Amino acid sequence: MIKLSQIKKSYGRQQVLHGIDLTVGKGDVVAILGPSGSGKTTLLRCINYLERPSDGEITIDGFTVHCKRPTKADIHRLRKQSAMVFQQYNLFRHKTALENVMEGLVVVHKQPKEQARLRSAELLEKVGLGDKLDAYPSQLSGGQQQRVGIARALALGPKVILFDEPTSSLDPELVGEVLSVIRRIAKEGITMIIVTHEMSFAQDVASHVVFMDHGTIVEQGEPNEIFRAPKEERTKQFLKRFAPESAYSI
Amino acid sequence: MGQHQFEIAYVFEYFYRLLPSLKVTLLIVGSSIGLGTIVGLLVALPQLYRIPVLRRLSQLYVSFFRGTPILIQLFLFYYGVPEVLKLVYVDLTRTPALFFVILTYSLHSGAYIAEVIRGAVSAVDRGQVEAAYAVGMNGFQAFSRIVLPQALSISIPVFGNIVIGNLKDTSLAFTLGILDITGKAQTMGTLSQRFIEIYISLAALYFIISFALQKLFDRLEKRLLRHEPAAAKDSLVKISFLRKDVAASKWRRKEAQL
Ligand SMILES: Nc1ncnc2c1ncn2[C@@H]1O[C@H](COP(=O)(O)OP(=O)(O)O)[C@@H](O)[C@H]1O
Ligand SMILES: [Mg+2]
Repeated sequence: MIKLSQIKKSYGRQQVLHGIDLTVGKGDVVAILGPSGSGKTTLLRCINYLERPSDGEITIDGFTVHCKRPTKADIHRLRKQSAMVFQQYNLFRHKTALENVMEGLVVVHKQPKEQARLRSAELLEKVGLGDKLDAYPSQLSGGQQQRVGIARALALGPKVILFDEPTSSLDPELVGEVLSVIRRIAKEGITMIIVTHEMSFAQDVASHVVFMDHGTIVEQGEPNEIFRAPKEERTKQFLKRFAPESAYSI
Repeated sequence: MGQHQFEIAYVFEYFYRLLPSLKVTLLIVGSSIGLGTIVGLLVALPQLYRIPVLRRLSQLYVSFFRGTPILIQLFLFYYGVPEVLKLVYVDLTRTPALFFVILTYSLHSGAYIAEVIRGAVSAVDRGQVEAAYAVGMNGFQAFSRIVLPQALSISIPVFGNIVIGNLKDTSLAFTLGILDITGKAQTMGTLSQRFIEIYISLAALYFIISFALQKLFDRLEKRLLRHEPAAAKDSLVKISFLRKDVAASKWRRKEAQL
């Protein structure tokens, strides 16, 4: 359903992505792991064109964008097919939780306000924030803000939701509530690509795990293969360093 | 001066007699802030969008108007512009002085307003713009729905300071013969020789208007920043920095005038 081929990205002289190929099926939950600076964020941002790839092709649901010469309409259409959940939540600070979720429905999808309001309230209910509809981001905890971010992404009915380290800015005691929301929507069959450092979460939610380093995909496969029997030396080292518990806990 | 005994009753009388001239003062303030906002936006845009040559020009513009005393700017425009235009056979000798005053104050506050707009727009974090794009908005929607409303509320306090500063600056317009409240006070003073009473009422008048404006902007700020009850402090840090900056350079300018 999603196919990336030969995605390359350079900042000036520094090449950050060296031709990434990745196929994601409908309903897959892909976890991307890798050391910091390996290009995970850049890859996600390329998929919805917050970053312009220098080369390659992105196909989502049969619609292909050639990154060498995309038109504005291409980019717009691509963005409408995906939604993003950011590490820093990036909520619209002058809008309430409800308005944050409604914004895309009303402005981009041109839904009537009443309909958008009902739908948004429903989604906030679903992420456990039914009582915070009128709260501004400044009045919400990090975990609550991130759940609004997830509701905002869900509202657009995207083909894929991209999560960039959704729990990395959270206090440890707030990580659980966000992960459990993600776990719940993963079960509903929504296609997701998640960059995360939460190894045990990746292990039990992902249907597919990708390990990146230095702008390339070093290894990918089923969670069991990657976590229990990694083939590549770099993957082994990373897992040992990052998740010693998973190496011993079997 | 001094040949009259001070009499408080005159303060009230002069205050009353100054009121009609208030419309000239307010006309200058109103139109120069209005035009200045347009100028400010035009000057800020090349800097916000990093347009190569225009960006330098707008920086130059801002440094000129911030770096020279407004009194000199007034004289330069009043005496200089007609001279320059004479070279291309445009005759401005009959143009009223008020025109040059409004022109100068518009260009002058435009420079300050450009700085405010620039600061406020960059204070809205980039992440929200990206979120807007990710939601599917185009550049115009992201700017008008996400950046601009927040930039406006962030800039209210500094903008208020500029308006009040502008009000006080208009007191120099009398040097070109404008009969604003200061000009009127000068004339009345010369006739009556009761300068003390007149300046007291003049000061009171400026004070009352400044105070009212201050209250107005405070209210507006509260209303527009209601979404940042806690973090208001946060943006206030940014702003008080800007504010000090504006205040300090105004102060330096005033010093330079003395
Ligand atoms: N806007 C940018 N300009 C220049 N270099 C960047 C930019 N964004 C990311 N990089 C570089 O690209 C590399 C990959 O970054 P990133 O995708 O953020 O990695 P990760 O998310 O895996 O930590 C890093 O070396 C980083 O310094
Ligand atoms: Mg990252």
